[in-house]
Amino acid sequence: MNDEHKIVQQVYAAKNDIQAADHLIGTYMPFIKAETAKFLKRPPIEGHDDELSISMIAFHEAIGSYSRTRGAFLKYASMLIKSRLIDYSRKEQRHRHVISLSTPTGEEDTTLEETLADGQDYQENAASRDATRTEIEELSRQMQEFGVSLSDVADNCPKQQRTLEACKRALQYAKENPELLDEMLQTKRLPIGRLASGSGVERKTLERHRKYMVALLLIYTNGYEIIRGHLKQVMKGVAAR
Amino acid sequence: MSYLVMECHPGYVVLLDEEGRFFKAANLRYETGQTVYEPVLMKESPGKQKYTIRWISSGIAAVAVCFLLFWGVSYYQSYMRPYSRIYLTINPQVQLDLNRQGTVVGLAGVNEDGQRLLEGYDGKGKNKVTVSNELIDRAIEMGFLSEGGQVSFSIDSPDEALFQEYGAELRVGVAEHLDGRITIEIVNHKSMQREESMEDSSSLEESQSEQTPSAPLPEESQPEQTPSAPLPEESQPEQTPSAPLPEESQPEQTPSAPLPEPSQPTVTPPASSGSSNYGNTDYGLDNDGVTDYNNGNTDYDDAPDSDDGGSNYSDYGDDDDDD
Repeated sequence: MNDEHKIVQQVYAAKNDIQAADHLIGTYMPFIKAETAKFLKRPPIEGHDDELSISMIAFHEAIGSYSRTRGAFLKYASMLIKSRLIDYSRKEQRHRHVISLSTPTGEEDTTLEETLADGQDYQENAASRDATRTEIEELSRQMQEFGVSLSDVADNCPKQQRTLEACKRALQYAKENPELLDEMLQTKRLPIGRLASGSGVERKTLERHRKYMVALLLIYTNGYEIIRGHLKQVMKGVAAR
Repeated sequence: MSYLVMECHPGYVVLLDEEGRFFKAANLRYETGQTVYEPVLMKESPGKQKYTIRWISSGIAAVAVCFLLFWGVSYYQSYMRPYSRIYLTINPQVQLDLNRQGTVVGLAGVNEDGQRLLEGYDGKGKNKVTVSNELIDRAIEMGFLSEGGQVSFSIDSPDEALFQEYGAELRVGVAEHLDGRITIEIVNHKSMQREESMEDSSSLEESQSEQTPSAPLPEESQPEQTPSAPLPEESQPEQTPSAPLPEESQPEQTPSAPLPEPSQPTVTPPASSGSSNYGNTDYGLDNDGVTDYNNGNTDYDDAPDSDDGGSNYSDYGDDDDDD
């Protein structure tokens, strides 16, 4: 009973604390593996079975959506893990007819992957990934100055297309008025009032998605060319208008 | 669509898609900065979906409450609230409150016998004809009504059609029950009241016209000019003389010749001894049209202080010693 109360407290603490959530997932890793094993009918191999990753994100989802009215947390998490694993296996069934690159060719223990011509430049890819990682780390550090993390942004991201379009309009207005971006960098505050009045977006919308707007505006300040290059469709809709 | 891996955690990764949306997804051995194509995105929290369901259920509940409220008010209006009344008069008089359906929702004894008749009887929820029959039976048992008697139903309904309907129902139902032993009378309560009020007003007018002769009247026959003063017990207000009167006395009119009926100061011209000084009163040919109660010019002020057969005004008023 006390254990149940303790875990509930931990879950509630983890809802708003990323570190606590990661810690809780680490603590209950044996439970997550056990639930995955029940589904796979064998122990999952860490770093190999995608099902374990699915179980872990299902556990994370359970942390976010749990409330006391749903009963015991572990039972709830178990149910959610099972549901997500079933969803994943159904999705994967569509690709059953696809031959794996790891399939043996039958000639001198070689795999299919080894026999295929690879047009990718691994060195270039690795360099590009490093550059991207550096940019992302810099963005993450700058966001910390605003008290915002990428996980927060993911939670705060607009779900509806209409809201997303409104945020993009505010971003467009900020791009056309670079002094707003400069002011934000100096004051470490989002100029919501001027963005709202200038772009015609409702102030309430911007306030609700403040963290998302901070991340988006920071990406469009100096630097972050790689990330901006990835966001090639962001300004398409707005520019069309 | 491609997704850029922005942040990696043990349980999930944060991805950024090409449209600028951030997602949480399963960490399928991803690394920060990697571009992925078919991630397993974290589903929207069921908690948020639950709120939608809760909103819908709250809306349904609110609609249900409104419906129940409306139904309750309608039920009250139609079944609980008195809509019409029937006054059953034998000698005991009983008031039956009826709802729109004609069902009895309340019973009250109008007079003392009516209250006795209703003692131990509960007719609520019954039909008006049933209640009427039962009350008539009780009245017969209790001796209020005997064969050859009369029962009167006075129906107080908002419209004439309902009066006709209830009247017919009562006449048929009660007559059948009594088998012609007792006479039934059905009247419209409102028209009866109207007639009564008309009778009252006509009788009042008649009495006023009787008291208002064309010729100049003596002071005591002018009630409009009556000052507010204590009235004697046997005096009648409309016919009261203007000044306070002693019990059983006829002061003003008969200083010298008292009238045979003491409490009826009629319109008979005063049989005074000719000692009235019209020139100084409000009446007669020299009437100035202004009532002079306190000018000391009336004949009353000239009355003797002692009780000499005429009016002794000092016996009345605030200083009355009741002797």
